[in-house]
Amino acid sequence: MAKERYPAWLGLLPPLVIVAVWEILGDAGHLPDYLPPPSVIARQTMAMLASGELFQHIGVSLFQALSGFAIGAFFGVTTGLLSGALQPVERFYEPLISLTYPVPKIAALPLIFAWFGLGDMSKIIIITVSVFYPIYISALSGAKSVSKVHVWAARNMGASRAQIIWRVLLPTALPQIFNGLRIGLALSFVVMFVAEMVVSSVGLGFLIVFAEQNLRFDIMYVAIVAIGIIGFGADFLLRQIGRRVLVGQMAATELRR
Amino acid sequence: MMIVRWLGRYYSVFVLLAVYELIVRLGLVSPRLLPSLTVIGDQLWIYLANGQLLMHAQVTLYRAFAGFALALVGGVVIGTLMARSRLMERLIEPIFYFGYPIPKIALYPVFIFVFGLGTGSTIALIFLECIYPIAIHVHAGMRSTDRVLIWAARNMGASQAQVFWRVLVPAALPIFFTGLRIALPVALIITLVTEIIGESRGLGYFVTYASASFQYARGMAAFVVIAVIGFALDRALQLVRRRVVFWQRTDVEIK
Repeated sequence: MAKERYPAWLGLLPPLVIVAVWEILGDAGHLPDYLPPPSVIARQTMAMLASGELFQHIGVSLFQALSGFAIGAFFGVTTGLLSGALQPVERFYEPLISLTYPVPKIAALPLIFAWFGLGDMSKIIIITVSVFYPIYISALSGAKSVSKVHVWAARNMGASRAQIIWRVLLPTALPQIFNGLRIGLALSFVVMFVAEMVVSSVGLGFLIVFAEQNLRFDIMYVAIVAIGIIGFGADFLLRQIGRRVLVGQMAATELRR
Repeated sequence: MMIVRWLGRYYSVFVLLAVYELIVRLGLVSPRLLPSLTVIGDQLWIYLANGQLLMHAQVTLYRAFAGFALALVGGVVIGTLMARSRLMERLIEPIFYFGYPIPKIALYPVFIFVFGLGTGSTIALIFLECIYPIAIHVHAGMRSTDRVLIWAARNMGASQAQVFWRVLVPAALPIFFTGLRIALPVALIITLVTEIIGESRGLGYFVTYASASFQYARGMAAFVVIAVIGFALDRALQLVRRRVVFWQRTDVEIK
């Protein structure tokens, strides 16, 4: 690659300028109440970290998002791979998925709350459903991208159907599955957050609504910052895992970003 | 003949609907919680006929389209800037690539204070959510242009503008449409979510209100309308894509 004319740290400039201007204007009292200066937010974050209050909300939110993500990912990967391997399975799922994929499932949230109660169960169900789709689709298209020769070779050497799925299709589909997992993970946090904003008594979504109603804008931003860091951190972690698992696979470069 | 093949292809949908109806008819669940398909159909008919569902659908669609259109303009401009100028790429790209996995819906309460409850804050949030996939895909699309094509065009005496409009734009179009296909459902989802959280109009509100008044059949009827809208929007976008990007059949992903 040619020598870069502009250094990489330039990317830090816009956010830093924004924070600095925000802080200066805020300290001078030129900003409305709903924009407390960053230093105030930082102080409140520290206080809530020290008292452990923030961890309690984060724990509940993470539990919901991650259990929904895990269940949805499990079903997405298994049905996706099975659909890629077995014609009848695909014939069953394909029309269902292609019809319901573009449907905004989140609109069923009030109905799901009615059916399964206002607790964790409803939230985990809606997260599971939302996460399932992108992961199923990526697992299916990954499994279908397998070269016929590999399948023939495996069969020729006496591999059973299960072995072909586990030892040939899964490794082939892994890079695409990881892309699907990334989309699903981001989605799980969004859906978790929305569900908590609608109904809950604990969790980051609740914290934001609570702060808003009590006009505690500093707390509101603490929750926003926490959500942002968790969303970014989880994605970063998944990419690191992906890079380890996909060592040697060409498509691993896709995960670099 | 066509119908038979169509029925065959979608047999699982009919199987599931039949199983649902059977469970309801056998009285295994409370008919109030899970109403029979005919009851849902009745509700759908009533609320379509009296115009309520159409009125709320109009509100929802207006918001989704307004936010999407703004994000489309903003995303194309920013994506093009990032692709065409090294300096802009250095300055803006990190915001877009690092900000992508952050759930921006968290900013909704702030938006309510800035833009007020209702259409304003909803459109602003859609703009923020949709501008990410669009800008990133425009950027990636233009960046992925084959260098040889650009050289060939220059060699044949194409001006800067000609290279841009005749080479870069067509090369970016397939990936651009992939970005649109991500952003369009997001616009609809964000609209519905904000209507569920706090609104007095729109389909999201209609579902919430019906469920809160224990009218689950009515809520499910509204969900049917939402499902049809989501499905129709996706199909319409693919139709446009096939027209515009006629040389490429399938979706492309960012490499």
